[in-house]
Amino acid sequence: METLSIYAPKLITNREYIASGHRACSGCGEVLAMRYVCKALGRNTIISNATGCMEIISTPLPQTAWEVPWIHTLFENASAVASGIECGLKALKRKHGYTKEVKVVAMGGDGATADIGLQSLSGAMERGHDFIYVCYDNEAYMNTGIQRSSETPFGASTTTAPAGKASMGQHTWKKNMAAIAAAHEIQYVATSCSSYPFDIMTKVEKAIKIKGPSYIHILSVCPTGWRCPSNSTIKMGRLAVETGIFPMYEIENGKYTLNIDLPKLRPVEDYLKLQGRFRHLDKDNTAEIQEKVLEEYNKVKRLAAGNKAK
Amino acid sequence: MIAKRIGIESSLAVAEAVRLANVDVIAAYPITPQTHIVEGLAEMVANGHLDAEYIPVESEHSAMSSCLGASAVGARAFTATASQGLILMHEVLLVAASLRLPVVMAVTNRALSGPLNIWGDHSDVMIARDVGWIQIFAENGQQAFDQTLCAFRIAEHQDVLLPTIINIDGFHVSHVIEPMYFLDQKTVDEFLPPYRHPYALDPDKPVTMGGFAMPNLYTEGRKSLDTALRQSKKVILDTWKQYGDITGRYYKPIEKYQAENVDTLLVTVGSYSENAMDAIDKMQAEGKKVGLVSVRLWRPFPYKELIEAISGAANIIVLDRAISLGGPAPVCSEIRAALYSLKDRPQVVSIVGGLGGRDISPADFEKLIATGLDKIKSGDTAETIMFGVRE
Amino acid sequence: MKREDTIEIRWHGRGGQGAVTSAELTALSAIHENKFAQAFPSFGPERRGAPVLAFNRISAEHAIRVRSSVIKPDIVVVLDPGLVTLINVVDGLKPGGWLIVNSTRSIDDLQSEFSGDWKLAVVDASSIARELLRVNIVNTTMLGALIKTTGVIKIDSLKEQLEVKFGARAKANLEACRKAFDTTVISSITTGGQKKVRTFAVENLAKWSELPVGCVVTDVGNTKQFCTGDWKAQHPVWNDSKCIKCGICSLFCPEFCISQQKDGYFRANEFYCKGCGICAQECWTQSITMVEEA
Repeated sequence: METLSIYAPKLITNREYIASGHRACSGCGEVLAMRYVCKALGRNTIISNATGCMEIISTPLPQTAWEVPWIHTLFENASAVASGIECGLKALKRKHGYTKEVKVVAMGGDGATADIGLQSLSGAMERGHDFIYVCYDNEAYMNTGIQRSSETPFGASTTTAPAGKASMGQHTWKKNMAAIAAAHEIQYVATSCSSYPFDIMTKVEKAIKIKGPSYIHILSVCPTGWRCPSNSTIKMGRLAVETGIFPMYEIENGKYTLNIDLPKLRPVEDYLKLQGRFRHLDKDNTAEIQEKVLEEYNKVKRLAAGNKAK
Repeated sequence: MIAKRIGIESSLAVAEAVRLANVDVIAAYPITPQTHIVEGLAEMVANGHLDAEYIPVESEHSAMSSCLGASAVGARAFTATASQGLILMHEVLLVAASLRLPVVMAVTNRALSGPLNIWGDHSDVMIARDVGWIQIFAENGQQAFDQTLCAFRIAEHQDVLLPTIINIDGFHVSHVIEPMYFLDQKTVDEFLPPYRHPYALDPDKPVTMGGFAMPNLYTEGRKSLDTALRQSKKVILDTWKQYGDITGRYYKPIEKYQAENVDTLLVTVGSYSENAMDAIDKMQAEGKKVGLVSVRLWRPFPYKELIEAISGAANIIVLDRAISLGGPAPVCSEIRAALYSLKDRPQVVSIVGGLGGRDISPADFEKLIATGLDKIKSGDTAETIMFGVRE
Repeated sequence: MKREDTIEIRWHGRGGQGAVTSAELTALSAIHENKFAQAFPSFGPERRGAPVLAFNRISAEHAIRVRSSVIKPDIVVVLDPGLVTLINVVDGLKPGGWLIVNSTRSIDDLQSEFSGDWKLAVVDASSIARELLRVNIVNTTMLGALIKTTGVIKIDSLKEQLEVKFGARAKANLEACRKAFDTTVISSITTGGQKKVRTFAVENLAKWSELPVGCVVTDVGNTKQFCTGDWKAQHPVWNDSKCIKCGICSLFCPEFCISQQKDGYFRANEFYCKGCGICAQECWTQSITMVEEA
């Protein structure tokens, strides 16, 4: 649980940078995550948004939910557009008397980040642009109707990797984007979850201070795609963290910190059984997932402990 | 203005034009035969001769995407590419036009795979015909320099705000050292005003750029873009007039060479027009009534100027350096469409040649014209002829 | 031109309620009867909870060639009780046409909402679905009311389609369908008031020449003018005596529509609230309950 006083919600700014009237599904965790990210970013921000749920639900012409400058061009190039924005502003400052301090942010879903946009993200991180990349990971292509991505968890049923007599659904493990980002030796990488607003905001604030690229990967609960009730969004995110399925950690200059280090993890079943996408899993599948989750969680824990020992 | 005459490779002349335009951001990815342009620019940046951000991107897709980002915040952006690189950019080209971001790009025209071929033809840009960019052809190094400078002024004009391609034939122009005249910085600064975008991304004046349109708005969006592109011709003509007044080099959407009082006109695009000129001179000396017309402005297509230039001739022979597999050759199909509304139409024959760097010498052009005229005489003009192919 | 014998149906539901499935089953049943039929959804950016449409065309005689929208339906079926007063469900409904509604309200009461030469059928499909399917999804149940009132398809042909689509669950779905068939109440509408409802006509959209360069939007945050409140099937109600004014409801609201009032208590702006129920679920003192829309 978050170690915050019960009245902490009131400490958060009332200012919204995304307006109500957006078309997100009832109970959308992704739009919540985006809201917290934007609150932490503040007004002096330019956003480059990849194609996906958040783009579609926020900008049906002639309307827009955005209140900060925002550009969408394509699915796979949010990082490349952000590279151009960052360099454009740099040139304007150096040559044309531009004085504003603007945060450049690229955003995309898990498909835009880990699949089709991985190359452009890798390029932008490698080149060292001063920008923040935020991945809202809802674990499938939800915008087009719940197709599997490389971030879809093992065992989940999606429309392109459905469970059936001859298949248990997704048979690959989730791609580790935080590790991929960290392999670019950027200064700041973090994971977070849509159910933890303060964690998200703290991490965005840290990322803002970094000169150079930073990467934040936010597990964003999608009741439509995960097939769970719309009121369970916050609970589901907490369960992802409390079962160790989605550990929340930071990698600062290569050093790991586990932000929520639970003395005892809940069994993965507590999480899996509440979601229609895992309904078909049997005991053996669940045991296999449990084993892998512990292995991965302990890996992060060891990395964090090693860091402390130093 | 004191013009300095120098000998230089055409690619480096393009780089010099970009430097004189004081570009803010260059994002580029290597591909033959474009690379000399961006290498030239990288060197200028490295030596401090050009104050710009050079983004060595990881693909052409990202090159164009980065240019969009830069242009969207109000920075002048340039890239160059060719062939497969242009094809990889395609998706982004469409968005550059629809968001009205005036990126300038040099394309050193090159064949498309396969088989893989690095040499010149117009296949790459012909496939990019419908993406909404202004598209201009340069026939030699001087024109490449001139048109690159003009491109910034045209693209960024507040009545236009459209991305612009300058086409330069791969190798036959890009890699050739020729004599040419440059402009000095003061003259360029007077000719080219600073870039400003009316809706540049700015926290003090936030806008949303790139929302999606449903069936009830998409048609209006396309009409608005199409109209902007068609109406850009006025600014293009004004810019070329103004540039001509400064340099003495006047450009037209359709260029004519010895094209008055002739029966037959050859229509070409790009650098082979200059090869053809030698053939025309020789044939005219022999008393043949043959002239040349070349298409400089490819988009927006100058229907009016084209009709004026060619409708007096009886025979039109169109050379395309691109093949539309299974369909009519692109330039010829445009010309046929332009002529169709006329009551008395000339006969048109379509020839494809010069693919993948295959040479068409002045002597070949004489043969090419003869072949075309034979076809017209026999009344057999329905099919496209492939010139210079081993049968 | 539509051929004379073609029957057109418009289905009103909410994203996720299965209106598209209703239309599909109707078309498949008709095709099974050797008729010609179409089923198609209306595609848009609206998500789960938003009012959505699905359509059918059915003809016993002629192949159906028209692929345009259904503008003047012969039959309108409303799956969600809340939509009746929310949007103009009778928009374009032909004189003599059927309006078939899922509602707990009496037929007399519902009649007073409409004015026109239509026939009205009412069934409490939600109760039937909850009882027999243990879930408030009425897309198959409402087919029973459609069959009873209009006979456009036969229950036997539907049975086969249900078996194909639902397998073991087909039996319960068919039972729900039969119960709706038996309990649907029919009347006709001639007079009555018409409440002010939203039509689903498009907003005043720009001419091409009025669009700004690049179709940018300068009026940022203008989705505020868009009502998402009509997506909800239930709304939150606060018991202020239990409220400790912590604001967690506001923090976790995906519509950003819960705010603190002058008296310190919290309320949702019904214009945006989609009824997800997160606020009620997350409230530490359980001072919020979700109440079904009328």
